[in-house]
Amino acid sequence: MINIDERKILKNLFSYILLIVLAVVILVPFFIGIWTSFLPTADILKGNYFSTNISLTNYLDAFTKTPILRYLGNTVVVSTLIMLAHLLFCSMSAYAFVFLDFKYKKFFFALFMVTMMLPGEAAIIPNFQTVKALGLLDHYSAMVVPALTSAFGTFMLRQAFLQTPKELKEAADIEGLNHFQIFWKVILPYNRISLITLGAYSFLGAWNSYLWPILVTFSNESRVIQNGLKQLQSEETFNNWGMIQASAAIIVIPTILVLFIGQHYFKSGLNEGAVK
Amino acid sequence: MLKTSTTNVVPEKKVEAKNKTKFRLTANDKYYASIFAGPSLFLLGLFTFYPMFRTLYISMFLTNTFGNTTLFVGLENYVKLVTSPDFVSSMWVTLVYVVGVTFFTIAMGLLLANLASQKLPGIAIFRTLYSVTMGVSVSVAAIFWLFIFNPSAGFFTLLTKLLHLPTVNWLSNPTMAMWAIIITTVWMHLGFVFLVFLGAIESVPTTLYEAADVEGVSKHYQFFHITLPMISPTLFFISTITIIGSFKSFGLIDLITKGGPTNATNMLVYRIYNDAFFGGNYAKSSAEAIILTIIIAFFTYLQFKFLEKKVNY
Amino acid sequence: MSKYKKFALPLIILLAILVVVFTGKAFSTKTAAAKDNRTEVVFWHEMGGPAEKSLMKVVDGFNKSQTKYRVVPKYQGSYDAAIQKILQTHGTSTSPAVFQAFDISAAQMMHSKFTTPVQKFIDADNFDVSKISPVARSFYSDKGKQQAMPFNTSQTVLYYNASLLEKYGITPPPVSPTYSDITRVAKEIYEKSNHQVKGMTVQIYGWLLEQAMANAGVSLTNNNDGHTGIPTKATINNKAAKEFFEWIRENQKNGDFISYGSGAMAGTNQTTSFLNGKLGIYMQSSASMSQLNKKNKNKLGITYFPHPDGQKANGVAIGGAALWISNDKPKDVQQGAFEFIKYSLKPEVQAQWQKDTGYLALNKDSQQTKILKDLYKKHPEARVPSQQLQEAVPNNFNSGILMEGMQKTRQIEQFAMESIYNGGDIVKALKDADKKIDENLTTTNRANGYH
Repeated sequence: MINIDERKILKNLFSYILLIVLAVVILVPFFIGIWTSFLPTADILKGNYFSTNISLTNYLDAFTKTPILRYLGNTVVVSTLIMLAHLLFCSMSAYAFVFLDFKYKKFFFALFMVTMMLPGEAAIIPNFQTVKALGLLDHYSAMVVPALTSAFGTFMLRQAFLQTPKELKEAADIEGLNHFQIFWKVILPYNRISLITLGAYSFLGAWNSYLWPILVTFSNESRVIQNGLKQLQSEETFNNWGMIQASAAIIVIPTILVLFIGQHYFKSGLNEGAVK
Repeated sequence: MLKTSTTNVVPEKKVEAKNKTKFRLTANDKYYASIFAGPSLFLLGLFTFYPMFRTLYISMFLTNTFGNTTLFVGLENYVKLVTSPDFVSSMWVTLVYVVGVTFFTIAMGLLLANLASQKLPGIAIFRTLYSVTMGVSVSVAAIFWLFIFNPSAGFFTLLTKLLHLPTVNWLSNPTMAMWAIIITTVWMHLGFVFLVFLGAIESVPTTLYEAADVEGVSKHYQFFHITLPMISPTLFFISTITIIGSFKSFGLIDLITKGGPTNATNMLVYRIYNDAFFGGNYAKSSAEAIILTIIIAFFTYLQFKFLEKKVNY
Repeated sequence: MSKYKKFALPLIILLAILVVVFTGKAFSTKTAAAKDNRTEVVFWHEMGGPAEKSLMKVVDGFNKSQTKYRVVPKYQGSYDAAIQKILQTHGTSTSPAVFQAFDISAAQMMHSKFTTPVQKFIDADNFDVSKISPVARSFYSDKGKQQAMPFNTSQTVLYYNASLLEKYGITPPPVSPTYSDITRVAKEIYEKSNHQVKGMTVQIYGWLLEQAMANAGVSLTNNNDGHTGIPTKATINNKAAKEFFEWIRENQKNGDFISYGSGAMAGTNQTTSFLNGKLGIYMQSSASMSQLNKKNKNKLGITYFPHPDGQKANGVAIGGAALWISNDKPKDVQQGAFEFIKYSLKPEVQAQWQKDTGYLALNKDSQQTKILKDLYKKHPEARVPSQQLQEAVPNNFNSGILMEGMQKTRQIEQFAMESIYNGGDIVKALKDADKKIDENLTTTNRANGYH
């Protein structure tokens, strides 16, 4: 018995070592990034990582000397608008595909599916011209309007709506609710977890988009954070690494916090996906 | 990548068959349908379908300095691309990147998920730590790693100096630059992939492992003969979205290498952007965009098809 | 009631879309400076970092100097990225009234017909341009008509670490060095520092190759670099380019040459190494000078861009950018743009600009200002770029390349440089570059209907 216990302990020890080593490997870029964000650039450039000149100067510089707060604000507004739009338009079209009967329904649904096969990256030239023709360049709407809906979101919510229990629908029928009421009072509340999941994905997707905003924004008033960092980097002739790292940290810390808080929802969303 | 993540996760047919009921079938449905589905259809038409046809159209012309189509040339742009060593090498580079990223993301993701699925005290901490890169956006990943790859003060340079190894100038050596981009991409995607794999591994019935334990089968064997086959649908799902995501990679390249050195990381989407918005050659860029579309459509289609069949069920 | 309700949702949807569209606009425009009766002149520029700060001084100075106009500066990132933005936004409300576009985009801008030639305003205003450097002016004029007004003009110069040379007792390079002069210094730095300091680098940047060719007196394309007709063929595979690369290769063999690659950070890494005393010599725009002086613990040495052995230097082309006036804005806005241009050329403004950045003051009277006199007293080497400019006799080889698609050409040049640096055959790389540029030229000329 003792033998087995010892073997087990040894095995666990080995597991822990491996777990810790891998955690270190994954976290090293974070540690270095965040640690150097507290150091003066001069020390960083000398490779003096163990400098004791720790300060918040870089953060102060990032906040006061760069438009990073403006970039963050822009990104929050744009991402929130896109998220809300996705929740509305995707749930509406999903509702139509599940609960309504209309001509060419199959065809239209197929169209939605085909849309998912078309990469947005390939559409940048005509979309740029469209947005230009609409006079939206360099406005939030240049980023929001083309992203108001999502075929993926529609598909995802359709799958969720299909699983709404019969009883709910029957009850709604008996009460004589119309489609708007059913949609608003029955279907949406019942599927709120799926909606939250979609919201999170949409928000993150918008938050992370890089190529499109770079094409349609021309000033700090509308520039988003993903492009903003590139801007900071290109503006600094003499890489002020301390401040650049601080800016990166300013962006990544809130996202990670949000992620940890929202982890539960992500997981449930993913588990839905983790084929059963 | 996140955006398309759960795309086909929910097996469609199964659900549909389970409870297919409708509310009321009234004549009003058409009216409601136009309100409910109309906006999305309109928007997708304007910003997804129309651009595709427009891109196809532009790709068969020459475009002038202002990006206007001037001369119809049929498939000339495509022929030029396919016969240009530059473009062919770009396709190779893209392929190497896609294969590299997909392989390492999956291998690392599986390794981490398998480790973190053990029932050990404190394992929750590791699960959280491993998923942390999910919160990292392109630009942050690029900046963190740019510093690590920095030839004068970067972490790798210090490390190699400490170990008295020859220093590698990551970003000016074509092979190393590719590795730099692959490493950064894998790192960035790892958190998400890890979480999905973890979920899949956890949903494998424990009885299977218990039975294997009784028979004295090694953990190693269990992983390859129980875990892997059981999570094969997830494996397939992750592979396809990683492949699709890597084909569309842009931000990291723009931030880290700008396609260089010697076009060693000049991948498809970067070319599309570069040819149109730097070179001003909209026609060439459009032809490249169509080629990208064909590739992405193929892999998405594959994803749809296989998931319908539900791998290994 | 039910009728009314039926329309509620479509209305809400419509409203939602409208709100999104218009709040988006409002949000982004609201931040512009408080409204008054001034005419706004949107100014797109590509001056990052410290140069942006000194440019802001110019803009603020202008805005304070009068009450009719307000120049609103908007930073557009790199020169490269700005060109397509300018071309693509023309005619929209987003487009600038006055913009800064760099040297190699001159042909594109002229052909675009998107700008009002400044000559029109010069004539209307009887503005005396004789004080403005003729070399710089001629770069941006077409058949004697001024198309744009040069603003930030630089020279490519060679920087060296003078303290380092002193320390090791190395004779500095002469005023107008040959390749072998530089090879000698670079080699000595490398050897005498026990291989701790690299001798030299030439950044993978097409501009430097172009300058090497200009300085050797050869052209990059036929039709004299586009000065006597639309270019149809590239001629990079020439003796001067070969000599230039053989020179680099020789230094590579000696071990004193280092390449910082072509990635996003190559330029900054090069500068950082130089400032940290790990690199002896490099070539860069004179616009880096004030920065190099400010942050440098070592004494900065500056001399002319090197030229091939056995011949006289032909002089390099000016670099930098000019200010163009868009023709899609109302008359008063365009007039405001010109007023800003006039202001930017004042002797004191140009003198301060040179002092702050290292770009050359274009107004001859600037040299008499106290600002520059003080600068030269403190940093005698700051005269070098202006002297290099004055010594050059303008000809077709050193007056820039008037060709569309120069940005693509630069990328092709850079590709050739990279493959040579990585050990590739020089002639093959140059031939390859010619072929690629030719292909682009053919397509561009066909698409635009140039014959």
